[in-house]
Amino acid sequence: MTAFDQQYLSQITTSTTPAWRRSQMEGAYRVFTALDEPTGAEEDWRYVEFDHTFAELEPVAQAGAPLESGPFVASLPERSGHVLIVDGQVLEHHSDVATVLRLNDLDADPGFPALVPVDHNKLTAAHAAFSTDGVSVEVTPGTVMDTPLVVEVQGSIPGTVSFPHLRVRVGEDAEASVLVAYRSADGARLLMVPKIDLEVGDGGRLRFLSVQGIDHAATSVVHQRATLGRDSTSRIGEIGLGGRLGRLDLGVSLVGDGSSSEVVGLYFGEGDQTLDYRMVIDHQGRSTTSDVFLKGAVEDDAQSVFTGLLRIEKDAARTSTFETNRNLVLSENAKAHSVPNLEILCNDVICGHASSVGPLESEHLYYLRSRGLTLERAERLLIRGFFQEVIDRLPIGGLEEPVSQEVFRRFITAQAEGRVA
Amino acid sequence: MTGALEVRGLSAGVDGKEILDGLDLVVSFGEVHALMGPNGSGKSTLCHVLTGKAGYRVSGQASLEGEDLLALEVDQRSRLGLLQSFQYPTEVRGVSLRDFMIEAAEERGLSEGEALSRIETEAARFDMTRFLDRSLNNDLSGGEKKRSEIFQIAVLRPRMALLDEIDSGLDIDAVKQVARAVEEMRAPDLGVLMITHYNRILRYVTPDRIHVMIDGRIVDSGGAELAEELEAGGYKAIRERLGLIETSSEPARRPADFFTDTPFDVK
Ligand SMILES: Nc1ncnc2c1ncn2[C@@H]1O[C@H](COP(=O)(O)OP(=O)(O)OP(=O)(O)O)[C@@H](O)[C@H]1O
Ligand SMILES: [Mg+2]
Repeated sequence: MTAFDQQYLSQITTSTTPAWRRSQMEGAYRVFTALDEPTGAEEDWRYVEFDHTFAELEPVAQAGAPLESGPFVASLPERSGHVLIVDGQVLEHHSDVATVLRLNDLDADPGFPALVPVDHNKLTAAHAAFSTDGVSVEVTPGTVMDTPLVVEVQGSIPGTVSFPHLRVRVGEDAEASVLVAYRSADGARLLMVPKIDLEVGDGGRLRFLSVQGIDHAATSVVHQRATLGRDSTSRIGEIGLGGRLGRLDLGVSLVGDGSSSEVVGLYFGEGDQTLDYRMVIDHQGRSTTSDVFLKGAVEDDAQSVFTGLLRIEKDAARTSTFETNRNLVLSENAKAHSVPNLEILCNDVICGHASSVGPLESEHLYYLRSRGLTLERAERLLIRGFFQEVIDRLPIGGLEEPVSQEVFRRFITAQAEGRVA
Repeated sequence: MTGALEVRGLSAGVDGKEILDGLDLVVSFGEVHALMGPNGSGKSTLCHVLTGKAGYRVSGQASLEGEDLLALEVDQRSRLGLLQSFQYPTEVRGVSLRDFMIEAAEERGLSEGEALSRIETEAARFDMTRFLDRSLNNDLSGGEKKRSEIFQIAVLRPRMALLDEIDSGLDIDAVKQVARAVEEMRAPDLGVLMITHYNRILRYVTPDRIHVMIDGRIVDSGGAELAEELEAGGYKAIRERLGLIETSSEPARRPADFFTDTPFDVK
């Protein structure tokens, strides 16, 4: 068994590793060895059971065979490029519109502004030390991508941890559209630690949607950061369906004046899944706006966690920001934790948050049933309606049908089997 | 005679508060009855208990065409033909009025095609077409919500309609329109119980009978003369005539307040 040690590090820093990357890896390795694995006791990992250790996981030697694309990617016939990353290794990368390169082919560090810090946790340090491959997407100034670049990120080998890496840079006044679809092999217990770095230049527009559809035996911990330039717009959508544990650690920094961010998402947990969202929306520039709108449901023994922080820095005058997190708890053993937070260092702001956790509303059920709908039918209509508000706001079109079908399928199966209270 | 709706000795309460107190009421098929009563007398509670809202302690009897209503679930009562228009309709985001009505019509055995054509027709009649694809009751004005309620009832065609303040919050043209709809609903196999605070709707609908409800009971029933007595002297006059002591915690209202044409929704 290969350990994540100095010897392994030397083995992967080969002659093809660019010099800038080599020094990053060596520095990150020291951080990695100094940090402890999350135990669940840390504030960041509250409610979440992270039950992998690097001692028990193997690095990937050779990427496995690609998996089928699955219903979400299949429903997007129009696309402007394709990237396939399997077990952390880039197997395909091309685009008609954007410049898509392997990170190892870059002569210098592309120098992203707001990367997740290497010492954020042991997983980010591991990524910085051991990620050997990745993709850089550049959309040159003024270029408009009408159809999405499809990025498939897959994990296939049981017992491994992989470190996929994607960087997207949207040039000035350019427009990018990116769909990331996560999948993993049926029944494979493995860990994926993807890192997604997004940068939107002045006046740029980003539409980004990720569909986390890994197998229920797998764990995924995604670290995703976006930095927004002046008058730029970022619309991020997150769909969370897979994983024994699926965590998204998302940060959006509104650096440029007049920038705006929207994050919409839905999740549906079943079985013993944990779906965990940590979000920090950081307003730095003036006159910036942001909206977080996340809705989820949990049934069986599943749980969800939402920890959202809206931070408004001292000079971020005329900020307008809102955060909504609504949770449906559909069975007795399911749990949803919702923790919205505000940190306001500037007083010229409009901000607020709304959060709720509970079953389907009895007033709604009564109203629908009073028109003759059976309880089951009323519940189904309400579930559809609950998620419809998110589906209507997804930043990339074309996935409405498969997403709503999958969510609905989960609910009606549980309902038919008497698993909803 | 079997009434469309027969209520006998109906009592109901919530958390230690008694609201309905042995209420008797019969509404026969082919008839339109009006129910009037001061705020808090229990009119809406009567509707909720009849349609089966959870949370009330209920005793007594209620039947529709001889079927025991109290033994049925909310949706069974509705499919039997009992439909209520709500005083405060619930807002449901994400569910469109059209989808809701299609499902409700299908539960009543209509095909999707029949449902759609009925929805189109009634929507045109009640000027609801532009609300069909919006979330149910969401961001509707008070009067638009009432129009939505009467529209839903028109689509689903009840045998017994409980109209809870369908005229509150409506502008004068809409009151006429709703009144006309109630008159047009009249049918040999349909009964209507229309709860109202205002005489103005009674200018356009002629009820076969008017009931006055005070403190959870029907205290008097009669014809148009009862509405006139109310208009002149308010509930105070009725109480005095019947020797009832004021027990309601609601402050008494002056008749002048009560029958203005300016609608007010208290609560
Ligand atoms: N769920 C409840 N819990 C406690 N009290 C209630 C509840 N529902 C109704 N009540 C009380 O019961 C009484 C009757 O209420 P109801 O809504 O039936 O009156 P109403 O006759 O319809 O009045 P209005 O003319 O104002 O619509 C009121 O005093 C009300 O406050
Ligand atoms: Mg009422």
